[in-house]
Amino acid sequence: MAGLVKNWLQIVPWETVVSINATLCEARKALHKPTSDGYAPAKALWEKSRSRKLSLPEVFQIGYECHRLAPFCNYNGNTFVAIIKTLLDDTLKGLPADKAHILRSIAGHIVAGTATDIERKQLDSILAVLEK
Amino acid sequence: MTMAENKFLKEAIKQGLRMQHRFLAEPVLARTGKGYMKSEGVATLQRIKANLKRSKSA
Repeated sequence: MAGLVKNWLQIVPWETVVSINATLCEARKALHKPTSDGYAPAKALWEKSRSRKLSLPEVFQIGYECHRLAPFCNYNGNTFVAIIKTLLDDTLKGLPADKAHILRSIAGHIVAGTATDIERKQLDSILAVLEK
Repeated sequence: MTMAENKFLKEAIKQGLRMQHRFLAEPVLARTGKGYMKSEGVATLQRIKANLKRSKSA
């Protein structure tokens, strides 16, 4: 599948990340506020990555890193998982529904920090098929 | 914000709200190095596979 390496994050300025987190926090009446230690490095990583052409594993890794840096007080996981899953939507339209579901699920687990070794191996094999 | 960015924002918010029950509010991964995401279970994948099987046999 062509286009697996591209400027994935170009369509997502940091302000969008902040807006998504604000909405998710508001929905659960949680505090939406930047953290003193995580916000600046996560923003810097995100903005630096926006101008780069990235492979899908790199996109997932950046989502994971930003999640781990915890730029917001609440719902960091949901924010970055939602972004990465939404980024995948157009790309996965050409895949059989079950394969697309599995890839979306693995991507979510990687960003959330809950992916197993088995899932990582499964990701490699799905991507190998996609890249053919 | 461009139209594409705006469309993405709306889609991502929809996605985030749909799965919000699977997450904890607090930054667990940053504190413990282990993330949290409640399992969705296999029901969705089973439904997708059943639909695929049905459409193949039709």
